[in-house]
Amino acid sequence: MGSSNLKSDNIMAVETKNLTKIYHGNIRAVDNVSFSVKQGEIFGLLGPNGAGKTTVIKMIVTLTHITEGTLQVFGIDSAKSAELVRSMLGYVPQSVSVDTDLTGYENLLIFSKLSYVGKKERDERIKEALEYMGLTERAKDLVKHYSGGMMRRLEIAQALVNRPRILLLDEPSIGLDPASKMHVWESIKQLKKQFGTTILITTHDMSEADELCDRIAIMSDGKISVLGSPVELKKSVGGDIITLNLTSVHHGIEFPKDIGKIIHSDEESIQILVENGEEAIPLITNFYRDQKITIDSISINKPNLDDVFMKYAKRRLHDEFSTHASSARRDFVRHTR
Amino acid sequence: MNIARFLSSSITIAEMEARKIRHDTTELWIRIVQPALWLLVFGVTFNTIKAMPTGSFSYIQFITPGILAQSVLFIAIFYGITVVWERDVGIITKLLSTPSPRASIVLGKSLAASLRGVFQAVMIFALALALGVQIRLDPLDILGVFAVVILFAMCFSSLSMLLASFMKTRERMMGIGQALTMPLFFASNAIYPISVMPIWLQYVSKVNPLSYVVDAMRSMLLSGNYENLLIDIFALILATVIFVTLASITIKRLLE
Repeated sequence: MGSSNLKSDNIMAVETKNLTKIYHGNIRAVDNVSFSVKQGEIFGLLGPNGAGKTTVIKMIVTLTHITEGTLQVFGIDSAKSAELVRSMLGYVPQSVSVDTDLTGYENLLIFSKLSYVGKKERDERIKEALEYMGLTERAKDLVKHYSGGMMRRLEIAQALVNRPRILLLDEPSIGLDPASKMHVWESIKQLKKQFGTTILITTHDMSEADELCDRIAIMSDGKISVLGSPVELKKSVGGDIITLNLTSVHHGIEFPKDIGKIIHSDEESIQILVENGEEAIPLITNFYRDQKITIDSISINKPNLDDVFMKYAKRRLHDEFSTHASSARRDFVRHTR
Repeated sequence: MNIARFLSSSITIAEMEARKIRHDTTELWIRIVQPALWLLVFGVTFNTIKAMPTGSFSYIQFITPGILAQSVLFIAIFYGITVVWERDVGIITKLLSTPSPRASIVLGKSLAASLRGVFQAVMIFALALALGVQIRLDPLDILGVFAVVILFAMCFSSLSMLLASFMKTRERMMGIGQALTMPLFFASNAIYPISVMPIWLQYVSKVNPLSYVVDAMRSMLLSGNYENLLIDIFALILATVIFVTLASITIKRLLE
């Protein structure tokens, strides 16, 4: 929860240059990746399993060695000052990582001690984090009796006790039911709004990325194939499609090109490709009213991030069997008891 | 490096273990079964037949320090399995993502192992007293025994963590543990004096760290002859520092 006075200059929250990770001598899990995360934004790293998202996060958290390139967190070189970098971040790994043999409160207590939160602030912050994630009532129960959604929330609470300037969430809503997912999303948005925390999430859930992220980078084969805001990316795969159902025959009418392009038409319906559906609808209705043609119904179809994903993260068949998916698979070991 | 922070992190890791033990003490009670069998069955039997040349001490007196050392060794040498398990459930990832230095985490883990060792020692003391085994109950000696238990557990649990960072799976660590404990135990003076061993085994026994630990414990619990005690303890501290340092460097391998 980095306060706004830390946002002094235009230092990037994360800045990587030619970041590369080679496993076992020849597997390029992350291949020459350069990107920056601005302070205060929610940045999404998307991509199929094994694309290298988790490896990027692990390099930021200094859990794995950087093979080549540089990585700075708030201007601090992670290879040189790993402990300092770790003191600025909160990390929620992909798999459940809270200690299920301790209570929720104890998990936060231990973690805040290891993050050197002062004795005076500790109780206050634990209390706040528990309240914030809606866990106060269950704080004294052993975590093994928590539901999956509660464990996830506890993990986020854990990452919050040291008031991170940047929060790294690796697949934050994996395995959660829709209600728990919403709860997690709400808290993430709230964190950004209330405390200006920079947030980096990885996901392959496109609705999650669309809901949360200010900017998105799609990774594929260890490289970033495209980077931009969700709106930009959706535009890049084509515009909105408007479908009209008309009551009367409409042959021989020239449709104005500045509104959009007719891509399909038959006796009673027309499909028009436009750049922005909401803006185009009034223009289209006006046009047909002028032509004395009555519109029965209008529907609008927007390209979603799934389309973006399919375009930029297309995997060749042999990649399904590539070895750098193995580390991601190993991370996925979940604790079930 | 800030020493106060370093130590506070290590103690926090040990506190984590203490809290877990408090929530579930089952393991402590189960762990007492094996040493109890050694003392009650093996010890009592051999005590009756007087087959071992144990000098001025009875056989059950003789093996009490040996069984104490052995059961602490078992806890410590299998501690790597706990760490691998914690890796599998993400706890190690979480610990290593905190600003705490890696070495403080490893040192803390070895302290956690020694905490279990201390509980084990308490149980065996209680058991020995209940069986009426004559041991010296000088407070300083008892403290000394606990200090050796702590060091010994730290030493071998950090060795176990060092091995775990290369072995990486629980199955392999189980195998390693088995392969190490039995030879260490049988080639030591824990359950019989070195003098009854064949010559070649006597040489093995002389380089076996367990022999030195048992020797240190016997000198405090039985003989009160502290001749070798300083060397024993110094050797233990040295080995602990080396293993903790090496394990701190290698622990990250567990995550890769």
